[in-house]
Amino acid sequence: MRHYENLVIVKPTFTAEEIQASIKAIEEVITSNGGEIATTSAMGMRKLAYPIDKNERGYYHVIYYTIAPSSISEIERRFRINEDLLRFVTIKYDTNREIAAWNKLVEKAQKASAAPAKEETPAAETETPATEAPAATEAPVTEAPATEAATE
Amino acid sequence: MSEKRKYKKRYCKYCEAKVDFMDYKEVGALRFSLSERYKIMPRRLTGNCKRHQDMISAVIKRARAAALVPYTVTRKAVVTQPFENLR
Repeated sequence: MRHYENLVIVKPTFTAEEIQASIKAIEEVITSNGGEIATTSAMGMRKLAYPIDKNERGYYHVIYYTIAPSSISEIERRFRINEDLLRFVTIKYDTNREIAAWNKLVEKAQKASAAPAKEETPAAETETPATEAPAATEAPVTEAPATEAATE
Repeated sequence: MSEKRKYKKRYCKYCEAKVDFMDYKEVGALRFSLSERYKIMPRRLTGNCKRHQDMISAVIKRARAAALVPYTVTRKAVVTQPFENLR
């Protein structure tokens, strides 16, 4: 078993329920291949640094898990097929130092999910660029998918 | 000449802070090693040691893949506000 982290970016055109459903499907892919999810952390809807498939925004979600190294290729294959995802980034934590960092990150993510109110404030701050006025007005992350659906 | 003074080579800030691991998701921490146009700053200007420069370059490349940091910026994007998204 090796420690991994996966960051996935879900399409912003979905509603909140659809995003949660697709994230659940993603986690299902990991668990069905023998992975153990340590924790997850939602970074929320945020502006992409550059457009991906003409999308300016995306829903970021991070999954920390342990899995046998041979299963990673299968997971990545499934992610590539999945059209809900704009992008995924898989990070391997191999050395002792990296595993220590992984444990720290997991702890941090668990603390953040325990206090969701605290998690929302930094995410809201990232969505206040002067170039995008509508994004600046909507402060909480939970509302972001709904407003996005309304504009579509 | 003025540029040379601005980035006087002194010491590795990451060594001083005893950084062992960098997280690519904390984009605010990457600002120090990025130029205005989001290029990776060379070691001769930032004073990073080789070990930490290797770490930061790997981390920045990960952040670019995750669309947290842009690969390139156009002139228009530079003028508006550099690092607006990295806070």
